[in-house]
Amino acid sequence: MSRAQLEISLGILLVLATGTFLIYQGLLEPERMARLDKEQRAQAIEVGADLFDTNCKGCHGPQGEGTPGLCPPLNDKYFFTDRLKDVGWSGSLEDYIVATVSSGRLVSTRPDQYPGNGHPAMPAWSDQFGGPLRPDQIRYIAAFIMNWQSTAPLRQQAAALAGPPVGTDITQQLPAGDATKGEALATSQGCVGCHVTTTTGPAWLPKPDQPGIGARAETRFTEADYTGKATSAEQYLLESIVNPSAFKVPGYDAVQMPPTYGQALTAQDAADLIAYLLTLK
Amino acid sequence: MLKSLNFQDFRKKARVAIDNRVRIITAGMGLNELRAAVRGEPPTEKPNPRYKVHTTSFIFHIRPRYYEKGSTILTHTFRLGFFTSFFFFLEVITGLILMIYYTPSPADAYNSILNLLSNVPYGQVLRDLHRLGAEGMVIFTALHMLRTYLTGSYKKDRTFTWFTGVFLLGITLFLSFSGYLLPWDQLSYWAVTIGTSMAEAAPLFGTQANLLLRGAPDIGAGGLLRFYLIHVVLFPLLAILVISIHYYKVSREHGISLPAKIEEGNVSAEVKREAKQRIDYIPDLLGHEVFLTALGLFLTIGAVTVFNWHAPLEHVANPQVTPLDTKAPWYFWWLQGMLKIDPATIIEHAFARVGIHVELSALLNSKQIMGIVLPTILALLLLGVPYIDRNPYRSLFKRPVAVGFGLLFTLAIVALSYMGTPAYAIQTPAATRILQDLAPEEGIGPLREIPFDQLRVGTYEVSSTIPRNLCTDTPTGCPVLTQAFADFSQQVNKAATDVNLQPYQRLPNAKAVMLIEDWQQDLRKITLRIVWDDVTTGKSKTYERHIFLHRDHGAE
Repeated sequence: MSRAQLEISLGILLVLATGTFLIYQGLLEPERMARLDKEQRAQAIEVGADLFDTNCKGCHGPQGEGTPGLCPPLNDKYFFTDRLKDVGWSGSLEDYIVATVSSGRLVSTRPDQYPGNGHPAMPAWSDQFGGPLRPDQIRYIAAFIMNWQSTAPLRQQAAALAGPPVGTDITQQLPAGDATKGEALATSQGCVGCHVTTTTGPAWLPKPDQPGIGARAETRFTEADYTGKATSAEQYLLESIVNPSAFKVPGYDAVQMPPTYGQALTAQDAADLIAYLLTLK
Repeated sequence: MLKSLNFQDFRKKARVAIDNRVRIITAGMGLNELRAAVRGEPPTEKPNPRYKVHTTSFIFHIRPRYYEKGSTILTHTFRLGFFTSFFFFLEVITGLILMIYYTPSPADAYNSILNLLSNVPYGQVLRDLHRLGAEGMVIFTALHMLRTYLTGSYKKDRTFTWFTGVFLLGITLFLSFSGYLLPWDQLSYWAVTIGTSMAEAAPLFGTQANLLLRGAPDIGAGGLLRFYLIHVVLFPLLAILVISIHYYKVSREHGISLPAKIEEGNVSAEVKREAKQRIDYIPDLLGHEVFLTALGLFLTIGAVTVFNWHAPLEHVANPQVTPLDTKAPWYFWWLQGMLKIDPATIIEHAFARVGIHVELSALLNSKQIMGIVLPTILALLLLGVPYIDRNPYRSLFKRPVAVGFGLLFTLAIVALSYMGTPAYAIQTPAATRILQDLAPEEGIGPLREIPFDQLRVGTYEVSSTIPRNLCTDTPTGCPVLTQAFADFSQQVNKAATDVNLQPYQRLPNAKAVMLIEDWQQDLRKITLRIVWDDVTTGKSKTYERHIFLHRDHGAE
């Protein structure tokens, strides 16, 4: 067999083999594309989880449980079933999330439940509107939030109080408080969202340059710039909880703590919380 | 009328008509001639119609009429030049199709790659072929050049061809490099950021050059569009122009060089005459080229289909986050390696040995010298090879100096390339290194290779005993998780106890933990934390990373 003939026969074999590769690949293509589609979605969720952890958990909770009075829960069955109907949104829920995260909220849509901490109720996150995130990052966050859909629990919007609410009178006599119960309340009522996890409000825990809230409460009401009516540390803390606009700590003038806690806590709850706060020195 | 339509007459007429048509299509070869050519028989007409094609057909007029038999020996050329152009054509064809699916803007570029991969039939094949072809073209260009150098084929009539070849090497590198940015992932973004920062080192106009290239102080929408246009218009046009000149010289002027052994060696006249025999383009060379093309397609398409070679794709580019272990594309590692050398310090040390103290670091800008001056000198040296080397001989044994320099140069490039990788002279702190090895910021790594079902929720603390099975409660256990955790434990223990390590590699009193939490439907959060006492201050330090893993994240 001459070299030319060898090359022709080998060449034909090679072309046939290459064609077989391509046909084989073509048969696998639909399955491959579906697999990559799934992988891309999974990777979007992973990246979104990371972004949520760094940007959103401070207010919406590490597991999307929300902060009462401040940020609605996202890991919530209501959010996936009825939210769109309630706001009259015509697009998909994922688009709703992207739109909300991108441009934020100037005012709360549920001021009675989530008045927010001032204006805007939620900041804009997209760098197109002055926020820190790129549009693709917001898409990833939306993919992560959407992944709660199948497991989201039905959360109680407002738990029934065990007794009459404490009201806004700071001179009343409170029952004896339990610091351990107070610590649990601080988490369940979402206080830690702004006072411990983030620095939205004045920090509770002691720091190198300032003592904890328990120590500060004992002197604050005696300072010259104090504008409230409290005459003791307990009264000062109660006033801060039930009537937060009576006095604003310097540096936090622009922040508005929800004014609804007088209706959301019983006298016992308030006493427990105050007892806990006084331990933070 | 009827008579004129008798069968014989009709056949004859049809034959003439077909023959004429074939002659028009083949630019001169009739039906008989075509058959003879395909069968490898001698020409049927005089003058040789197979040569006529070379004057009448555009495509064939740029191809050679013949090569000398001696120059077509496989071990003389290894067909390196042929395959370089094969890859170029592969790039043009796949590139033109890829352009359909690509949008050169930071907001859309990465998505268009994702869409190409998950929504376009054969999309991944196209992308892989284009990437493989690019790397192949760089490799074959370099090998082709090395072969030409070693066989001394740049001498005498071929000096200008060598000259154009050096330009083609540069064009090939920059074609490949300009395409690197286009997927707009972390890999491409940071590799190109490193590459373009070199332009900044240029004296006088460095800042301006960098701005022109990037379109802004950092690569953004402007930079991407510029690189895209450079990649799909400027450099391909330049390549076509210079390749045409380069090839024209070979095909129409001097042909492929004969092996030195035959040209200047002590061989018989018989052998020389045999080597100078003409091998016609039609049919022999053409047939061979078709065969090589089939071979090339078989290998490249085989690689990206049945052998699962895939072009890498990392997370979308993030200008705010530089991933650890960022590096230039491999064909620029040598340049990155050179930049790690500081000539001023070396000279200062050399002088200090003989007792002279000099202060050079202010005078010699390391980045300028190693990133701009030296590479320019190297390029000029390469261009000037035929003019510097005046030795008339071509045989390896008659030009020891040139061969020595060639080998030295090749070795230097290999060594510098190694120095360019993150493995050399980069002091990553131990805790960062260990967690990066376990779960790299980009790419897969041992942690991401653990099957989702083996990521058993729990807290795993590193201790001096390496566990053999972390999941004793399940019959199959979790071998991959156990293995990854064992490797992690070993690395931490080594850094904690081995006092012979460099200070930056040590973690005294290290405590490490791996925490696996169920986070969401099909999503787990893994926290890796190392706490240790700082070597110098003794203060406690913590390094921590969170990794989210989804069941379907895929591990290629």
